[in-house]
Amino acid sequence: MSEEVTIQYEDVYKRFDTPVLSGVSLSVMKGETISILGTSGTGKSVLLKTTIGLITPDQGDVKIDGESVYHSSRAGLRDLRRAVRYVFQYAALFDSLNIYDNVAMGLDPETIRTLDKKVMLDRIATSLENVNLDPGKVLSKLPAELSGGMRKRVGLARAIVGEPRIILYDEPVTGLDPVNAATVNRLIMSIAERTKVTSIVVTHDVPGALEMSRRVALLDNGKLRFVGSPDEFRRSEDPLVMAFADRTAAARAALKLIEHETSDEDEEPGSAHAVSIGV
Amino acid sequence: MVLVTSILTLFKSILSAFGKGCMGFARHVGQISLLIIGIVRSLLQGGVSLKMIFAQAYEQGIGSLPLVLVTAVLSGIVTSQQGGYQFSSSVPLYVLGSVVASSVVLELGPVMTAFVLIGRVGARITAEIGTMAVSEQVDALVSLGRDPVPYLAAPRVVAGMIVTPILVGVANAVGVLTGLVSARATMGLGPEGFLYGARMYWHSWDLFYSLTKAFVFGFMIPVISVHMGLITHGGAEGVGRNTTTSVVFMIITVLVVDATFPPLFLN
Repeated sequence: MSEEVTIQYEDVYKRFDTPVLSGVSLSVMKGETISILGTSGTGKSVLLKTTIGLITPDQGDVKIDGESVYHSSRAGLRDLRRAVRYVFQYAALFDSLNIYDNVAMGLDPETIRTLDKKVMLDRIATSLENVNLDPGKVLSKLPAELSGGMRKRVGLARAIVGEPRIILYDEPVTGLDPVNAATVNRLIMSIAERTKVTSIVVTHDVPGALEMSRRVALLDNGKLRFVGSPDEFRRSEDPLVMAFADRTAAARAALKLIEHETSDEDEEPGSAHAVSIGV
Repeated sequence: MVLVTSILTLFKSILSAFGKGCMGFARHVGQISLLIIGIVRSLLQGGVSLKMIFAQAYEQGIGSLPLVLVTAVLSGIVTSQQGGYQFSSSVPLYVLGSVVASSVVLELGPVMTAFVLIGRVGARITAEIGTMAVSEQVDALVSLGRDPVPYLAAPRVVAGMIVTPILVGVANAVGVLTGLVSARATMGLGPEGFLYGARMYWHSWDLFYSLTKAFVFGFMIPVISVHMGLITHGGAEGVGRNTTTSVVFMIITVLVVDATFPPLFLN
């Protein structure tokens, strides 16, 4: 695999009411799949959104193929965005458009204008088939008529129809049953293998992340605490990594946190976190 | 000493709240200005779909027509009845025609139609776009390389500017007509007398004034409602909060614009 850097996060800071990202630096290589793990509210989705300017960092920069997302011209940013597709947590399909039009939105406006209608239909149908959906059954339906799992797969179809170079997945299996979650994880792997697309997957599904990723990153309190291969992740002796890698360790950490909170209520806030990672 | 400290604390809180209010207002004004610039730019670049403008015009115009007609009918009847009540003793009754025509055309037609559009169109736009914002559909649009302004804002604003003057024109005609019918039915003032009075103090400028006001309302209502929709966050609660705030902003804006029109155009 080439070691060419596709996405470069450079010392990214973002603060809302409290700091969310506190100096995140990360290089994502061309064609690799990297998963970002972390407890809720640690800034995983915020980091993903800074990649295409949906959230602007307070400090730092994000570069795609060496070009800054935040110092690009309007047209430059539009071109960068067209190379990237974002799969939203709840699919974010357009309610008023049917599935055909929703997937077609994944194509460039120029392509929609110039492409023959029959060819466009074929491309959309192929995208839907690639995510295990029957075009004949879903094309004319509205998003509200589909199940959660099907909507997520339509979101995937919309992401791949334009043949992007980068796909960003924001919690793609959250809210799905294990069967549908495994299906979506398999699809992410097969898309990456087939198209050699660079993928960043923000997820809480640790087994899925370890199976599909070349590298895994762990975000904690707005900072990257671990970046490495799935094997390094499994072998890590960092207490928080161990809590993520091993359900028993996670359960022990949670138990210890509860015991600490009930027996020592007068202690300063923040100490609970120290215990939670100090298994 | 305690009293002085309390007064100082109160003064500080009032000043702080005032400062926050001013900053919030300035932020809205800035964001709305950028939205307007974006709309103008997308129109100049031809990036706005005519199909979407027609769809919005149909929704805003045909959809609002029944309620606009009801409001216009009632405005005409009420103006005619109250005017007739006041003029019955000393003022010639035919002056009622002028009062009804002027009241409806200069004030009631545009303002009542604007209120109907705020409730029916403005609130809907904010709720619709607000829901899109909280369900990440607006982010999805941006991530797909589309600018939300030509897709979501421009068609609604252009449709508002086309449709509102037409609705106000219809409301004016219906209001004056029902005023005439009401004057005949309850006060015995015939159409000739009513129209004689109406023509006596009529200026062609009044209609231009009325339609210009409608055009400004038709611009401001969708602009504010789209802006409030786009800045929505915080789930269903945020949609509810911003829809209410949007309606309040639109009502205040309509009343302020309405108050600035006479000194600008009637003196």
